[in-house]
Amino acid sequence: MSVRVHPELRNQLMQFGIGDWNACYHCGTCTAMCPLSEEGFLFPRKKIRLMQMGLKNEIESSVEPWLCYYCGDCTSTCPRDANPGELMMSLRRYLTSIYDWTGLSKKFYTSEVWEIGSILLIAVLVVIAFLIGLPAMGYSFTTELTSQGGVKINSFAPIHIIEAFDWAMAIVVGGLLISNILRMYYKIIWKHGHTKVTFWVHVREFWRLVFNFSVQPKFGKCDDKRYWFSHWFLMSGYTIMFIVVVVFLPWFQTEKILPPWHLQRALGYYATFGLLFGLLVAITGRMRRKDVKFYFSHVSDWLFLVMLTLTVITGILIHIFRIYGMPYATYIFYIIHMAVLVPMILIEVPFSKWSHLAYRPFAVYFQHLKTHAVPRKTKINSIN
Amino acid sequence: MEEPRIGVYVCWCGTNISKMVDVEAVTNEVKALPNVTIAKNYKYMCSDPGQDLIIKDIKLHNLNRVVVAACSPRIHELTFRTACEKAGINPYLFEMANVREQDSWVHTDRTEATNKAIDLVVAAIRRVRYHEPLQKRFVNVNPATLIIGGGISGLTAALEIANAGKQVYLVEKSDQLGGQVKKFDLTFPHLSSAQQMIRPIVQRVDNHPNISVFLETEIREVTGYIGNFKTAISVNGGDPVELEFGNIIAAVGLKPFNPEVISEYNYKEFPDVITSFEFEEKLLAGRILTVYGKEPRNVAIIHCVGSRNKKYHEYCSRVCCMAALKYVHQVRAALPSANIFEIYADMRAYGKGHEEFYALTTHRQIMFLMYDQQKKLPVINQADRSDNCNMIIEMDELLSGQSIEVPVDMVILMVNMEAQENVKQVVRAIGVSLCGNQFFIEKHPKLDPVATTTGGVYIIGTCQGPKDIPDSVAQARAAAARILGAIAQGSVPIEVTTASVNELLCCGCQTCIGVCPYKAISYDENNKVSIVNEILCKGCGTCGSACPAGAIISKHFTDLQILSEIEGVMSMS
Amino acid sequence: MDFRPKIVAFLCNWCAYTGADLAGTSRIHYAPNIRIIRIMCSGRIEPTFILKAFQQGADGVLVCGCHPGDCHYQEGNYKCLRRFKLLQKFTRQMGIEKDRLRLEWISASEGKQFAELVNDMTKTLLSMGPSKVKSSLEVEHLNV
Repeated sequence: MSVRVHPELRNQLMQFGIGDWNACYHCGTCTAMCPLSEEGFLFPRKKIRLMQMGLKNEIESSVEPWLCYYCGDCTSTCPRDANPGELMMSLRRYLTSIYDWTGLSKKFYTSEVWEIGSILLIAVLVVIAFLIGLPAMGYSFTTELTSQGGVKINSFAPIHIIEAFDWAMAIVVGGLLISNILRMYYKIIWKHGHTKVTFWVHVREFWRLVFNFSVQPKFGKCDDKRYWFSHWFLMSGYTIMFIVVVVFLPWFQTEKILPPWHLQRALGYYATFGLLFGLLVAITGRMRRKDVKFYFSHVSDWLFLVMLTLTVITGILIHIFRIYGMPYATYIFYIIHMAVLVPMILIEVPFSKWSHLAYRPFAVYFQHLKTHAVPRKTKINSIN
Repeated sequence: MEEPRIGVYVCWCGTNISKMVDVEAVTNEVKALPNVTIAKNYKYMCSDPGQDLIIKDIKLHNLNRVVVAACSPRIHELTFRTACEKAGINPYLFEMANVREQDSWVHTDRTEATNKAIDLVVAAIRRVRYHEPLQKRFVNVNPATLIIGGGISGLTAALEIANAGKQVYLVEKSDQLGGQVKKFDLTFPHLSSAQQMIRPIVQRVDNHPNISVFLETEIREVTGYIGNFKTAISVNGGDPVELEFGNIIAAVGLKPFNPEVISEYNYKEFPDVITSFEFEEKLLAGRILTVYGKEPRNVAIIHCVGSRNKKYHEYCSRVCCMAALKYVHQVRAALPSANIFEIYADMRAYGKGHEEFYALTTHRQIMFLMYDQQKKLPVINQADRSDNCNMIIEMDELLSGQSIEVPVDMVILMVNMEAQENVKQVVRAIGVSLCGNQFFIEKHPKLDPVATTTGGVYIIGTCQGPKDIPDSVAQARAAAARILGAIAQGSVPIEVTTASVNELLCCGCQTCIGVCPYKAISYDENNKVSIVNEILCKGCGTCGSACPAGAIISKHFTDLQILSEIEGVMSMS
Repeated sequence: MDFRPKIVAFLCNWCAYTGADLAGTSRIHYAPNIRIIRIMCSGRIEPTFILKAFQQGADGVLVCGCHPGDCHYQEGNYKCLRRFKLLQKFTRQMGIEKDRLRLEWISASEGKQFAELVNDMTKTLLSMGPSKVKSSLEVEHLNV
């Protein structure tokens, strides 16, 4: 069956990243160099070809962009400076916008005004909620200190309100992400080809999702292992922080100052350290532009790093100010912390860069589902 | 005949020969043969000391024949002939035995190789006994030149020769000068105007006092030989004009391939499927429009139309790839939002600035689609109303492995450069050969690409093979330099190893006249014998083998010489 | 003693002889049974040359010229071909088996093909055994 080429799609794709993919003349050096490219799932060359020809459905049903962890070997060995690494990055951005049914992702990726504007809008709403919303609901904070000399933070940020908001946010974001993953599943597994995947395979291969989410073994296959380590450190810190803040907020946001070795503080310190370390590697990398993977920075790359850094730093400051009994400083930074964190979660997780935390492990899962797909018994197939 | 005194020299060629052939054994074996005065071996016969060895021996031992067993005569025959000449004996009293290319390099058994070397040397000794001295000959050169074809090659050669103060007769079949280049808008890779290039050249030729231009004129017959040709041309049906000239340049050019025979492309069926030459007309007219008078939104350019395909022409036309890229720039400039598809089989960008031109083109928002010439050609079909375009190209795209549909409104077919039709007459008149693809054959594909095997006849431009403007111009100037060189010398050497007729044996049957490809033999009515014009004769020897009376002697390849050689190779077994 | 066939080959200067040289420069090995005689054009080959080779004891005779259309002298190879067909009829009547006399086209770039041709012909001659032309001539000579 022949498919129609779409020249205009190339121009659309150009908006998702930097690089001149037309320069590619298909020598295949990139695919040969790539430690992750494998039989049945070859990239980047094949994906560049789909992009050059504007084969929309073929691109959208590709799992390969998520299997690339951007070590940059392809780009540094490309004889035509076609930048295959950045192409794969751009394809991930494009696919994120395709999985997203709201259309917001595309807006955020292709328009800086939209992305920064939305972040600012949500930030302002958060500030208003603290300055006007909470007092209007009858909450008033106190500057008195606890018997240990700490700030009574729960008087400023009522724990059940914040917890309810966290849950609400998690449900919205999770709902969006799950619906997008279902669309991803539809495009990669369901819609294409004359094959089907049995239920048993879905169950049997499920461990790959969990394993790849927690360890990222594919990232570890890239030649430079340092980035796997720093990424894993950052990711584990982020996950821990996310779980304690959303699920265990009453246990985490206490007025009582626990001893430093207490699990609450120890987990917090580990997570903070992991985040800081990962961020430091990424930010210095993007500033030095020595490694190919950090050479090209899209607005979405920087926004994400800056917001996460701000979140971590304000989080640390809240912790310090609370322990040392500085109520006003605590409260002000609590507002700033939330004003950065909330838009970051709401925009980055379902619509932008942060969504890769779900798409990547799911892609590996889908890859294995595809490997074990069996021909669908249809009339057309039996004729063939 | 004086008693032959032969000197035999066996070369080691370092270890090239000596490793597989026992040169000492060969030398000893032939030493005692009749007429062999001296037999030696030496490390490198072609070196100065090696040649000196021969020269000294010739003088010292009063040798009158020399045999060297070494490499192929195609390599060093001339070297040793010159050495003989230096020592005062005729260079044709020399013979070479090829014991390297055809012996030591191709065999693995040392005894067998040595035996073979002995056979070959003995054969050369037997042959050289019957060698006869031959004298170099020269003919005077008429300083005028006939150029057939008024394209860029012919015009360039004409100016080159005329500017040197020599007369040129420029004959053009059509009614105007300029050839194919006059039909082009821009040239690659610099996108400079072809018109601005060709017009001043045509003007200079038209106004040149040393150039006589004959338009709408064809060459029917040429008589004579190098340095002294003659033809009669009739201009506008008028009285024939007789021209005399010493050299001929054929620059009859090319013909665009007619893609009607390729059913996949539906050329003529669909009016917006046009050839590259037809597209040039649109470009010269200044507007790119479909037959419906609309600007095409999708333009496809199909490469290798009639080229590199055994069904049509197996050879590559060399210029179409770059011409196609040129169109990309021109379409992009005229229609900034159009979709342009380059449907190619292989992108060939071999020339100066071509790869850069290709790289530049890849940045102009083009979709490059590759097809496999050997498996399946793209097919142009009529589009449906819902397709929102004029035609659909269906093809198997090679780099993606996908079967695809390409929407198009205009298709440009990059047609192959074919040899001119109807050149048989010119070919026969000037005595050149055609290759399988009907292009003129040069004397040597590498070392003598503008001369032909007929002395004084040169071929330039696309009649010799597909090429671009710079290559055509380079050939034109090369041929002009060759001709001016001959004119400056005043005379040129001609073939020595020709045929001659022993009039006592000739019975006048005229068999030889029929077989001679060079019309070099004529019949003498008075004496009832054939006569060889040794200026026209190339020395192929065909007449010699055809002569039933054995009256024709092929100089340097006489029956006696060859029969002795046969005896020689068989004598040791 | 083993039978070592001997082939006399007539090669035209422009295509076949150059092709044989190319086999050498490419170091393509072939059977050492061949003895090459250079002529300018295959059109020069006279039946006498071929018969002389057989008379002298050649077990096979090989004639090589340019491919049709590629003749350096325009059409000498066609003339050779015509003459060859006639001669072959004649030699067969003389009792010289068909495979002992071959005409092949070898271009200047066909070194490999030339080597294969020599090997092939040597193999054929080995299976056929020695030519009887020379010995039969000798016997007649004795009777006279």
